[in-house]
Amino acid sequence: MPPALNAADLRPGVQVPVLERKLDLVRMIAYAGATWDWARLHYDPAYVAERKLPAPVIDGQMLGALLSEALLDWLGPRAFIFKLNFRLRAMVFAGDTVRCEGQVTALATAAEQRLLTVAQRIYVSGRVVADGGACVRLPG
Amino acid sequence: MGLLTGELKQWVGREFNYIAPEEIGRASIRYFALAMGDDNRLYVDDEYARAAGYPGVIAPPTFICETNQYAHRQPNADGYIGHSWDLPISGCRMIRGGHEYEFFQPVRSEDRITVNWRLVDISEHGSSRGGTMLIVIATASFSNQDAREQSRDAHLSAAGQSSAERRNR
Repeated sequence: MPPALNAADLRPGVQVPVLERKLDLVRMIAYAGATWDWARLHYDPAYVAERKLPAPVIDGQMLGALLSEALLDWLGPRAFIFKLNFRLRAMVFAGDTVRCEGQVTALATAAEQRLLTVAQRIYVSGRVVADGGACVRLPG
Repeated sequence: MGLLTGELKQWVGREFNYIAPEEIGRASIRYFALAMGDDNRLYVDDEYARAAGYPGVIAPPTFICETNQYAHRQPNADGYIGHSWDLPISGCRMIRGGHEYEFFQPVRSEDRITVNWRLVDISEHGSSRGGTMLIVIATASFSNQDAREQSRDAHLSAAGQSSAERRNR
């Protein structure tokens, strides 16, 4: 289990460790099966070609899953994300590698708990494809 | 004539409820984590999860907001089987704008979920491409068999036409 982070590790400005993940078509099909979301936009090359898109489009909620993974990998299993939000700024396509970054914007202590606020962004090839943030509860 | 018709306005406040036919199950949690490439042991290792203060393995936070296992629908024309509003909008493409999640308690494999979908608001705005667009906000609330709300997901979607799109049709 990762060591607990102290206040200095969580001060505003501290960077969330970067998480990168390639979202290839195999992963997208696995995700469709795991979520029983068979929207053809997310796996069918013929369907997207008809709509003049270059490749299947990733399910936007995959980005939410990655944002939460980045936080829990860093903060450890006792952290509880109680708010997470993101806006989609651009399509992400099969084969893209996404890069999740973030930084702490606030740390507060209340009732023997620490409340962490972070801002997060997701990039593909240096372009922002999503941005948002999260609020996390940590043991005091 | 604007996109936000009187007929469309009447959709605001509509709700749909779904009850999952079975518990979530450990395998569906593991498959979701595998699909994402997330090797966090919280999702597969009971001993690890208990050491972290949980009764056993839990689901990744967004899992419950994404699974469509509760829906008993046939695929629509686009292959989607999850909840859909099927709004009376023509000549527009609906795209997802984002999500705002609230998580109240961890989701367990033995949870059997009920999902309440509510169409919160539809509004019309100018589009950066010169036309107009609709912003549709809907909320999905996920509760377990104890009727304790576990998660809530506010979906932001947009549908619009631009003057450029009209000329190209």
